[in-house]
Order: sequence, then C-alpha cells, then structure tokens
Amino acid sequence: MIQQVTTTESDQTLDAPIAPADHLVGKSCRRVDGQEKVTGAALYGADLFPNSAELFASVVRSEHAHANIVSIDATQALEVAGILGVYTHADVGGTNIHGLIRRDHPALASKRVRYFGDSIAVVVAKTERAAKLGRDKVAVTYEPLPVIATMEQAIAEGACKLYPEGNVMGDKRIRKGDVERALADSHVVVSDTFFTQTVDHAFLDIEAGTGHWDGQVLTLYVAGQWVHEERRLIALALGLPVEQIRIIQPVTGGAFGGREDISIQIYLGLAALKHQGKTIALRYTRSESMRARHKRHALKIESTFGANADGMLTAAKIVVYSDEGAYASTGIAVMRKAASHATGPYCVPNVEVDVYGVHTNNNPTGAMRGFGACQMAIAYEGMMDRVARALDMDRETFRRKNLIQSGDTVTTGQRIDPVSVGLCLTKAIQKFKDQPYPGSDHLPAHIKRGWGMSAICFGLGYGDGFPDCSRARVELSDSGIATVYTGGVEVGQGLLNAMMQIAGEELGLPFESMRIVAADTELTDESGSSSATRQTYFTGNAVRMAASELREQVLDIAGIKLKVHPHEITLQHGWAYETSNSNNRVRMEKICTEGLTRGYSLKATALFKPRTIVEIPNTGQSPRAFITYLFGAHVSQVLVNIETGEVKVERHIAAHDVGKAVNPQSVEGQIVGGVAQGLGMALMEEVTYRDGRIMNPGLTDYIIPTIKDLPPVEAIIVEHDDPGGPFGAHGVGEPPLIGAVPAILSAIYDATGKAPCELPMSPERTWRLINEVCENDPLSKVF
Amino acid sequence: MFHQPMTFEHALDLRSELGTDATVINGGTDVVVAMNHGAIKPTTFIDVSRIKALRGIEKQNGHLIMGAGVTFADLGKMHFRALREASLSVGGPAIRNMGTIGGNIATASPAGDGCVALLAMNAEVQLSSKARGDRWMPLVDYFIDYRKTALADDELIKAVRVHNNPRSRWYKIGKRGAVNISLVCCAISQNENNKTELAFGCVGPIPKVAPKASALLTGETLTPELIDDVANLVTHEVAPIDDQRGTATYRRAMCSTLTKRLLTQLMEDAPKGDADA
Amino acid sequence: MPDPTPMEIPTMQVACDVNGESFTRDIPVDMPLLEFLRDVLGLTGTKGACLEGECGSCTVLVDGETINSCLMLAAQVNNRSVTTIEGLAAGTELDVIQDSFVATGAAQCGYCTPGLIMSARALLNDQPDISESELLTALEGNICRCTGYASIIEAVKRAHRESQNA
Ligand SMILES: Cc1cc2nc3c(=O)[nH]c(=O)nc-3n(C[C@@H](O)[C@@H](O)[C@H](O)COP(=O)(O)OP(=O)(O)OC[C@H]3O[C@@H](n4cnc5c(N)ncnc54)[C@H](O)[C@@H]3O)c2cc1C
Ligand code: FES
Ligand code: FES
Repeated sequence: MIQQVTTTESDQTLDAPIAPADHLVGKSCRRVDGQEKVTGAALYGADLFPNSAELFASVVRSEHAHANIVSIDATQALEVAGILGVYTHADVGGTNIHGLIRRDHPALASKRVRYFGDSIAVVVAKTERAAKLGRDKVAVTYEPLPVIATMEQAIAEGACKLYPEGNVMGDKRIRKGDVERALADSHVVVSDTFFTQTVDHAFLDIEAGTGHWDGQVLTLYVAGQWVHEERRLIALALGLPVEQIRIIQPVTGGAFGGREDISIQIYLGLAALKHQGKTIALRYTRSESMRARHKRHALKIESTFGANADGMLTAAKIVVYSDEGAYASTGIAVMRKAASHATGPYCVPNVEVDVYGVHTNNNPTGAMRGFGACQMAIAYEGMMDRVARALDMDRETFRRKNLIQSGDTVTTGQRIDPVSVGLCLTKAIQKFKDQPYPGSDHLPAHIKRGWGMSAICFGLGYGDGFPDCSRARVELSDSGIATVYTGGVEVGQGLLNAMMQIAGEELGLPFESMRIVAADTELTDESGSSSATRQTYFTGNAVRMAASELREQVLDIAGIKLKVHPHEITLQHGWAYETSNSNNRVRMEKICTEGLTRGYSLKATALFKPRTIVEIPNTGQSPRAFITYLFGAHVSQVLVNIETGEVKVERHIAAHDVGKAVNPQSVEGQIVGGVAQGLGMALMEEVTYRDGRIMNPGLTDYIIPTIKDLPPVEAIIVEHDDPGGPFGAHGVGEPPLIGAVPAILSAIYDATGKAPCELPMSPERTWRLINEVCENDPLSKVF
Repeated sequence: MFHQPMTFEHALDLRSELGTDATVINGGTDVVVAMNHGAIKPTTFIDVSRIKALRGIEKQNGHLIMGAGVTFADLGKMHFRALREASLSVGGPAIRNMGTIGGNIATASPAGDGCVALLAMNAEVQLSSKARGDRWMPLVDYFIDYRKTALADDELIKAVRVHNNPRSRWYKIGKRGAVNISLVCCAISQNENNKTELAFGCVGPIPKVAPKASALLTGETLTPELIDDVANLVTHEVAPIDDQRGTATYRRAMCSTLTKRLLTQLMEDAPKGDADA
Repeated sequence: MPDPTPMEIPTMQVACDVNGESFTRDIPVDMPLLEFLRDVLGLTGTKGACLEGECGSCTVLVDGETINSCLMLAAQVNNRSVTTIEGLAAGTELDVIQDSFVATGAAQCGYCTPGLIMSARALLNDQPDISESELLTALEGNICRCTGYASIIEAVKRAHRESQNA
C-alpha cells in the first residue's frame, strides 16, 4: 500500500519568508488515506474481486462442535458445474498447522474437529455460487464426541478430553506476601465473582482477499495485523519457503485483535498453489466470519479483597477461569496479561492470583482490544466500589488512598515512574463536577440516575520477555520527498499518519513532502503487530531513529552548502537555514540532489528493540514485565429504568495519558471509539452459544452500539511525556475500552444500589439485578 | 422470472396464475434477508413495489385506509401515536424507506411492531384475490399461528384500516438505542367510547391481543387501582417463551410493566384532551 | 424444492441510471443491488458488512431516497436512478460531506464511511434546518465500529454549516 498526500503547496520563492515551524507531532494533519476512503476509491479485500478474481474458493466447516472425522467425500461436490477442485488436509504440503504462540490449530482438520467453525476442506470453482454449492455437497461423516460447552464441564471429573494433556491449557500466577494472614487481619474482606462474556470484534470489513501463485511467488492480498509473522505461519503450514510468499495488506476495515490469528490466508494459499496462474478470491459472509474467528475470552473472576480500617488495601486473592475455546490462539499471553493486571493501578501488598485457561468446544479465544487486562479491570474496579461501600467510604477517596504513585510497584513487582493515574482521575472527575450535565434533574420515579468512575493501567507491548521489536526505513528522494517504509499495518487507527508525522517532524519537512509504504512483506521490514497498543511506541521509535540518522546526513550536506557547523542549522518546512541567519538557507531538494550525487545514501534503517524480562513462573514477578505503562480514568453517568432494566449512558468522560498526542484528532478518535466498544461490552454485546454453536452469528442478534447509544464522549488527552517514547508519545489503542466498561458498571451500581457482576448488563440482566431475580437463567453461558 | 406489475389488478392476475411458485416482494426487508441467509431461493418474483395504488393513505367514512405498500417512513409522519412511534422504531431510515406495512403483516412475525400497533387499534386488513375479490377481516383473526395467516395462496394484501381517531400509546423494549428487534412491545389504544385495546409483541407465536384485560377496561374510567388490576391480568394472557434474546420470566413481567406505564400515561394525559399528536 | 444450480437462475435485463450514466445489463433475477453495483458494475465504493439491513454500509440513494442495497433486488431498480458514493465528488472536487469526513477524522478504517456519507447526503438534501435529534435519527441505521460516532456527527454538522454558508 502506497500512500501519498495529494495536495501540494505553492512553491516558495527564495525571498519569501520560510513558513513558520510546522510541528507535525502534535498536529491533526488530515489523514493521508482520508481522500480514498471518502470517495469509495479505497480497495479493501473484497473490492479487489471485480478486477482480479478469476476463481473462487469456499471453505467446508464442521457441522459438529466436537467429533472425529470418519471420512470426507468430495464426489458429489466435484459433479457440480464449475467446480475445479476440493482440497483437504492431504493436499497441504507443510505442517498444516498454525497458531500464534502454541501451534495447535490445523488449517484443515484431518482427524478431529473441535469447534463448529473448524475448517475441513477448500473448494475452488469458477464462480462464487458454484464454490458455495460445491461446499455444501462435500460429504463429511462424523463420529460425534461429547461436547464440552462450558468450563464447568471441561474441568468436571471424567470429562472428555480435548487434548491428551487434558482440558486445562495452562495457568499463570502471582504470589506476593502472605495473603491468608493479611485477609485474616483485615478490617473488611469483600468477595464477589464476576462473569465477563464472549465478545466478537465485529469489524465491518469481513475477511476477504485474493491469492495468486505464479510458480515462483505466492502473492496474498489479505488483511492481517502482522504481515511478516503471518507469512511465517503460512509458509510453515503450506511447506513453502518464506521468501516465496508475499503478503500485501489491502485497505483494512478494522481489526481490534480479530485479525491477529490466521484467517483466510492458508486457504487462499492452498487454492492458489493448486491453480497456478489464476487469481483466487475468497470472502466470508458475516455469519461465517463470526463462526470461524476467535473471540474475546469469557472469564469467571473470583475476587476477594481486604482493607484495613483506614481504607488501605491489604490483600487480594483472585482466581480466574478463562474459556480458551478449542485452540490456544494467543490464550497463554492473555492469561498472563490478566494475571499481571489483576489488581490494576492499586498498591496491594499481598496478592495471590491464579489464572486457569480451560479448553472447551467453543470458538478459540484470543486477542481483542484490551487482551485480558480489560476483563480484570471490570473485576478490580468492581471490587473498589464494593470495598469502599463496605468501609462506608467515598469511592473516590478510597481509590485515591490506594492508587499507585510514581515510583510504586504494580502487582508484578515492576516499579513504575512516572505514574499519572491519579492525575487522570482528577481531570476526569473535575470535568464531571465543574461542568454539570445539562439534562433535567426532574426524573420520573422509575428512572434513576447514577455515576461511576474507573482508574486503570495497561502494560504496553507484548511484555514478559516475548520478542518485540520494530524496524523502519526512511528515504529521501531527489525532490526532497521523504518516504517511510514500515511493516506495520494500518487498520484504521491512524498508523500511517503517525509515522509520517514523526518522520516529518524529525526532518523538518511539511506533511505534503511525506510518503509512506506500509505492510508489504516485499517492500517493508518487519515491524511487529498492530496490537498491544505498541505501534506508536515501537514503530514510532524505529521511524524516529531512522529519520534522525537521515537528519544527520541532511545537516552534514547542508553544513557544507551553508558553510556553517551542522549544529548551527535548523530544518524547517523543507528548508535548512543557519539558525542565527535565516537568509543563509537552502531547500531540501537541493540538499538531497547534492547528497545523492556526492554519495550520501539518504536512506536509513533502524531497529527498536527494548527488552522486557520474563516473569518468575511461581510468583509472576518481573522487574520489567512491560516496557512502559499507560494510565487512564473514566467517569460515566447513566440513567437506569428500574422497571424495565434499560440503561442509557448520558455522559462519559475519558482521560488518558498518551505521553504525547502525535495526532490529537486520531488520539481522540481512539478514545471515543474505545469508549463505544466498551459501552457495547458493558451493555449489549454477547456471543451466545448452545452446545458450542453460536446462536447469534450476525449483526441482527450480535448487536453493537448505534449512534443513538453513545452520549457525547468527552475525551481528555493528558500529556505526560514518556521518556522512552518517540517525542514522548506512548500509545492509546486499548486503554479507552478498558476504562469504559467498569465506569459504566460503577454508574449502574450507583444508580441502583446493586452491584453488577455479569456482563453485558442488558435490560433483562439489569432488571434481574434490581429485582434480585436469579432463578436459573437460561441465557447461554460458557461457565 | 421477475414480474413487476404496475397495477394491482395485474398483480392479482399474476398471483392467481403463479400462486406459491412466485415470491411476492415489496420492500424486500424480509424477503431478501431470507434470501441472503439462503433460507429461501426464489426464482420467480412478483414485485408489487411499483403499484401506486398500494401507496395511498386516505380517509373514508370515519376510517383511515392505508395501502399495503405504505412504508414505515410514510407511517412515521402519521398522527396516530402508537403507529407512528412503532414505525419510527423499525430499522434505520433506509429500512423505513423500503419496509412496508403490508410486508410486516404478511410476514406476521410475533415481533412485528406494525402488527402490534395495528392490533391495538382494532385494525382490519383487506385481502384480495382475482377469483373472490376483496374481503375485510379483523387483523386479530388474520394471525393464526407462528407465521401462519389467513392470506390465501392467490391473495394479496391490499390495505389495512383503522378507526379515525383513537388515542394510543406504544413502547418497545430493545437492547440498544436504535434499530431494535423488540424484546417485548406493547401498544394500547382507546376510542371515543373508552373502549381500550391492548396488544403485545414477542409474547407468543403471533402478535397478541389481551381480550380479558381489554374487557376489564371497557367503558371504565382509568384509575390507578384499575390499572394495577389490568397489569396483573395481562401476565396470565400472554405466553412468552425463552429464546436467546430474552426469557419468558422477563417478558411476562415486562408485559405487566408496560401495560401499567402506558395506561398510566393515557390516564394522566386524558385531561389534556386528545394528546395523541 | 431441490437446490437450483447456479445455472438455473433466470436472468432479466435491467436498465437503470447509476451516477448519471445509463446501464443495461442482463442479470440473475435474484441478484441484490449491492452485488450488481459491486460485482457487475465494479463500483466497489458501496460496502456490505451484514447483508441483513443492520449495518448501513451498503446505503445508496434510489431516486434520491436512502435504501439498503443489500436488501433491494437489482431488478427493482429497473428504470430508476441510483446514486452511490462514486457519484458524489465532481472530478477531484470532494462533496462537502466527503471533505468534512476527512477534516474531522470521521473515516478511521473507513468501511462505514460511504454508507454514512450517503445517509448524510440524503439528510442534507432534504432539509435546510436539522436538529440534533434529526441528525442522529438520519444516521441511526449506519453502524461504525471504530469512531464512537463523535467525529461523524461533527463532520455532518460541519458539512451542513458549510453548505448553508455557500
Ligand atoms: C434491519 C431491519 C430491522 C427491522 N426492524 C424491524 C422492527 O423493528 N420491527 C418490525 O416490525 N420489523 C422490523 N423489520 C422487518 C420489517 O422491515 C419487515 O417486516 C417489513 O415490514 C416488511 O415489509 P417489506 O415491504 O420489506 O416486505 P418484503 O420483504 O418485500 O416482504 C415480506 C413478506 O410479505 C409478503 N408481502 C409483501 N407485500 C405483500 C402484499 N401486498 N400482499 C401479500 N404479501 C405481501 C412477501 O411475500 C413476504 O413474504 C426489520 C427488518 C430489517 C432488515
Ligand atoms: S450490508 Fe446492507 S445493511 Fe449491512
Ligand atoms: S470507521 Fe471503521 S467502521 Fe466506521
């Protein structure tokens, strides 16, 4: 994907004053991909079809949540007019396995299926209709196995085992101090159990793409989140050398973690390899997308917190069961993130956390915005409200007594400096109290108003010693245009602008002189995934380092031209001038031409690879589990109809420390968008299963917030320079969602006097909470 | 084949000729959803969306007659409060530009908001066939069982009518702020003679009236005590089920809650005269 | 009823006007307008994200009114005129709504954007004055998963202001 700014500025003549310093970092430059997105010219995966699709593929999926495959018979399918081939595991040349951490997920199942979406065969045909018809005619004979629909069933005595090792996928723990004793000595001890639901990413741009094999190179146009790692996984599964695969990310309509696992890449690759010279197209429908893709983990979180009479937390004992579904996906990392964020931004001297990942025959669960930290925030913030109430203490005061301060440690033992969570909370609450909501104070008797708050932290990057690095390349051309090359993927978050702005800032170039090439394994170097809120920090640092090396070259050349020491030169708006005499100046074009003829490379690459330290397994302690921490605080105000259980969020304030907002408009967009997803998770979103089958695989019943559900979200950008980030920036992607959910629940608690512990708080759940109706709830559960 | 009759008579000809071999389509908001899901695979269509006569709304002898092709967007401009609000709660504006009241009645979903509002307003539906001409029947008799109706294979829905000036109230509980499928919906209307009718959506296989509750109300002036009695009674008249959208327990309770709320509104607004607009 | 094979779907001729240009094509009678626009005419600016009327990404104007093109059959637009996102900009000059979407950052991933712009276009075509609640209602059928809508609301208000000042 090559992006460039289309507007050009009129040429400045030599006598004209140099345009004022245009600080690209901190400026809301118009999105470089804006024009193509508003005109419909942007090509997303499925938009490539009309011009390139020659053959179509379709995937045969399991009709059972758990079964042995007895036979796969393609005879009838092959009789359908237009069908060119049906391919199974036997046709796959490599390991036929993928999986981001643990490689356990067969691309095409051979012996056994473990969830309803498991794929069994790929059908290729001349038309999409024929491919689907053929798919439906592939006869698979199954020997059904007992379905493990809930975690309870999975860990029950004598349960059918999904894997030889059993159904517990793994565990993570934290041990700090003496929890039992501290609880025994506490003034109050409060326990509750939280149930978070299975959530779907529901990005709008359904999985779709093309694949082509020319005998030398397999070219895939498929949206992922980490094209270089996807290339490795595809290579392994298909038995091709990595060098023979090229992935090009089309314009991508959202990801939110939902494109981290392999989706259609291997099917397309297999089909392409079997039909050399033809471009294969494959797209899911919404229901197939929901049925196939991993989900956010549903967690059962048993929490016990103790506090002394002064309102200081003494201990936390937390046991978590996590529905891992059929395959591991990124589950192990999510479990660790849950453990390391179990007590959030609070000082708790004695902590015991046990997180158990449990396999079921539900969809695999993996990455989604917030990644384990999100579910834990629901529990620890829920507990803060409960403990404050038990102590008869104001919720804010109680939180403030226990929030970490700069130099304190979080639950992993990592010392954090600076800490800005208190500042975020102050700003959010101040805004709430200083600018009262304009709504009416006269509410009918059945409508109750309440407000709540949350304070959260988030460790940025993969952390825990997991390899994490970004590369970048920046080049200057004869005409003074700088091009940034990054392997990072733009999924809507604004990565392209951020990288262009960082490089432009470093080089003193106007935004119009910037270009970017992203996410093409042939043209760009690996930059890790667009996830874990890491790209601004990681790739941003790499881009800045590369740009800064170029800057040195530019200053060197300019120094010769201007006959002054390079340190006496300012780069501004496409000019280099003597800092004390701006008439002694030269344009970037001239410098570049000069540099290129004199043998300067005018290219620079950089690698940013900070280290984190893997935790001690028995205690979960690590002096540097994460490279840096992000903080945020929310205030939410709701109206609850106590007769029907309907909840309306009236007002929502979100304060986030982003280090430095590289593009404030994008940052605000991330904050408000994260709140929207948090609101969805708090109030309405829920994948429901019956015996492993998704009951709501579509947007009719998997409902997400509309424009009428969102109050005007007030975003507060807190800028507290991160010493390790590019221009002080760190990141913002995930924390807004994490903060939103508990703040809304806290507001419901305030309005109703009843503490919510089950998500989502749909009208019915809220009504049950208020009326204490807890007869057997037939709504589906994975617990 | 795709037939696109421009007159209702032509449509009736086609209907009598093709019967169930052809799929009648108007706004397509039910038909094409089902096609996209692969639930139906029609190859012959009678598209009634171009028939101007079906788009009319007119007053006649104390009745308001709405053609079957009147869209929710059109109904959203009407002065009958229940019907207006119900119509404006359907989908988003694009769905309301497409979806028709005739389609809603033909689909006969227990969640059909248009059906519930019309039931409460004692609506009658006009069915037509080439062979037997037109017939009016009370909408309440038209719904037979889950998605089973009185519409014969050679018939089309022509119109629906209601008395001119009922006062009405409507409320639907959904899971979000817009584009809601109802969890429970309730409509109430009252005519000049204080005859009050209640109807519910999502409480059984068909859009449902509550005759006993209505009987209790007939001719009476609304009082808080009476409203409580009626709200209790309706819970025995509805037979909701558990499904993945909600449970019977909740729905039953909500029928009572909504009945009470809407009747109370009618009672409180009564002194203001016709507060329907 | 046995599954009709792909070959058995009857076809018909459709003549319609799309973005001011006339098209006549033979298409299967059961083809949704969305598929016609994208796969037959190659106008991929109109998106599809649900095919059940829930998301609004497929919103286009038919005779000036918004409809969900995933739920209208192409056959139904015979002799009618359709406007899609590709029909809004005049050459390289953006429609004021398009420009506003870029200005306010309302297009993040951009997948919902064409549909939202079409809904907004219909609103601004119809009404000189719009209230906050009319604006929200006009856009309530368009889901955006990225933005939380604030920048979208701002974009439509900006476009409205600019077109009134023009
Ligand atoms: C996103 C979305 C949201 C929705 N929300 C709601 C909602 O909130 N409340 C609600 O009640 N409904 C809702 N609906 C469904 C609603 O749009 C339909 O029930 C609509 O009323 C059907 O009208 P139509 O013209 O689109 O019918 P079509 O889909 O064209 O047809 C529906 C049925 O009616 C038959 N039919 C149509 N016209 C006639 C006629 N004149 N004579 C005989 N048979 C006929 C057809 O053969 C078909 O069986 C929603 C639909 C969608 C897609
Ligand atoms: S694709 Fe048409 S509304 Fe979603
Ligand atoms: S910008 Fe991504 S769905 Fe709206």
